[in-house]
Amino acid sequence: MKEGGFKSIKDLPSTHMLGPGTPICAGCGALEGIKIFCDILGEKTVFVNAAGCMTLLTVYPFTPFKGSWIYTAMASAPAGAQGVRDALDLLIRNGRLRPDEDLKVVVLTGDGTAYGMGLSSTSAAIYRGLDFIYICYDNEGYGNTGYQFSAATPHAARTATSKGPEGYQRYKKDLFSIWAAHKPAYVATVAGAEPLDLARKIEQAKDLKGSKLFIAFSPCPTGWHFEPAKAIEVGKLAVKTGVWPLKEYMDGKIVHTKVPLSKGKRLPVEEYLKLQGRFAHLFSPTRNEKVLEKIQTGVDAYWEGVV
Amino acid sequence: MYRIRFHARGGQGIKTASRILGTAFFLEGYEVQDSPRYGAERRGAPIFAYVRASKKIINERGIINKPDLVIVTDDSLLLLPIAGVLLGVTERTVLLIATDETTEVWKKRLNLQGLVLSISTQAAVESHAGLPLLGVACVGAAAQLAGAISKSALEEAIHEQLQPLGKVIVEESLAAAMAAYDQMEPYARCTTEREDPSADSYESPHWIDLPFEDARTSAPYIHAAATTFNVKTGVWRTMRPVIDLKQCNRCALCHIYCPDGVISLDAKGYPQIDYQHCKGCLICLLQCPTHAIDAIPEHGQEGEIS
Repeated sequence: MKEGGFKSIKDLPSTHMLGPGTPICAGCGALEGIKIFCDILGEKTVFVNAAGCMTLLTVYPFTPFKGSWIYTAMASAPAGAQGVRDALDLLIRNGRLRPDEDLKVVVLTGDGTAYGMGLSSTSAAIYRGLDFIYICYDNEGYGNTGYQFSAATPHAARTATSKGPEGYQRYKKDLFSIWAAHKPAYVATVAGAEPLDLARKIEQAKDLKGSKLFIAFSPCPTGWHFEPAKAIEVGKLAVKTGVWPLKEYMDGKIVHTKVPLSKGKRLPVEEYLKLQGRFAHLFSPTRNEKVLEKIQTGVDAYWEGVV
Repeated sequence: MYRIRFHARGGQGIKTASRILGTAFFLEGYEVQDSPRYGAERRGAPIFAYVRASKKIINERGIINKPDLVIVTDDSLLLLPIAGVLLGVTERTVLLIATDETTEVWKKRLNLQGLVLSISTQAAVESHAGLPLLGVACVGAAAQLAGAISKSALEEAIHEQLQPLGKVIVEESLAAAMAAYDQMEPYARCTTEREDPSADSYESPHWIDLPFEDARTSAPYIHAAATTFNVKTGVWRTMRPVIDLKQCNRCALCHIYCPDGVISLDAKGYPQIDYQHCKGCLICLLQCPTHAIDAIPEHGQEGEIS
């Protein structure tokens, strides 16, 4: 890394920390983000991985990690992280590990865990002030089991368990606000398709003391039904259309790190939706103006509240 | 009992295809097992599904080692040892391949003694719905080959399994399945049932005795870093990205955006693709601002992994 942080794509690390050959889907938007996390956090890490797509990264006897990795049940990754953190602290205190041998504890879970069954243990960990990094790769559903809805599934998306004419009827949970309400050291939304914004945020947060939490937008070709080649395009459009706000919380303040164009000039959300098979029922056989307008209105209202 | 094994790549709809075939057998009064085999694999990776159907109680479980019919929806799998397409194939096994080469070519290439049949992939590739139709076409062919499934049972099974995907897909699938059913008429009942072996003739499994070890030895620890390097995910690829370095402006975007991190930069900043691991997602092709990356079909290419 150059002094003064990441100014352009060229400042991103030129060698990758995560090994190739993982069983993750071709064109995985989650791996896109995690790869950059690994590049910047380096080898001195312990990944505490709750069950989900990314547990497939490490299937015995293969691992892509150069640092350490441990597996936990879905709901309890932050509790696992507490154990690892405590063990490291004790080893350092007892002189069995030099302070410079300390490792960063990184929880890695999907949205099913982060937005749902792991929310309680995360809340407790932040409340205790656990010194750790949390990466939620948000592919907006239970991607590893055939793409059922989760509390992160957006309104109107079709999933294996929301096959009705207007898809998923509930609304995506606002995990960023829930996490930020705990007043941790750092919370951010990121996207693998915006590597510079992502790298800056990791750099900003990684050495802070306390809980640092990230929600990484993770387009899923398999579950969202688009060609793997379009994973980056889908991610970029989510940011440009305002569907996925890039923001961070620190010292009690929320800052938007990349604001899309104002209403009228901003790309309509349908430019993002129409690339994905999970929203195809909104366009064919007939356009569902009512639902499209509802989604657009929701996005517009969000950005009106920002300014 | 009929023992039918499907070989496909993840994303070709083979789980659904095997379910349709199983349902059709069921509707004809058969007891049925239909089970896709899940592994830690994804789109593009070789995958398997198994259908057993019998008028009697099925006592067999697990993978099918001695198939009566083997269905292959992607002919590149035939040359891939890890796909195991020819496992347990004998002269009485019928091999049905979705391919544009002749069956004679495959018979010769693989030195096969049994009946080899083919379904053309041309129509499926040209139509919008594309590859998943190959799976359902193979089901139509299989129904005819087994001779135990009527057109009406096949139709009902397709309706039952594909209804949620909408009318268009149901209709396209029906057309593909029925065309293959008719195409296979000269070979009706070529796939025959094989009796269940009696229990005492079962081959016992090749167990390996493992001594009791303490947890540090027996737990699945991995002590080395980045061992996935030994997994050659290049075999997943159906299209191969090729960089024309003359057009490359060394922007490094392909290197940054490749999710698997298989595009490295050489000393001069030019990208190089690690074809042993590249899964062929083609994100690099779409993101290259100078259009220096092209995609060529993997089929028939020379290379480390072809």
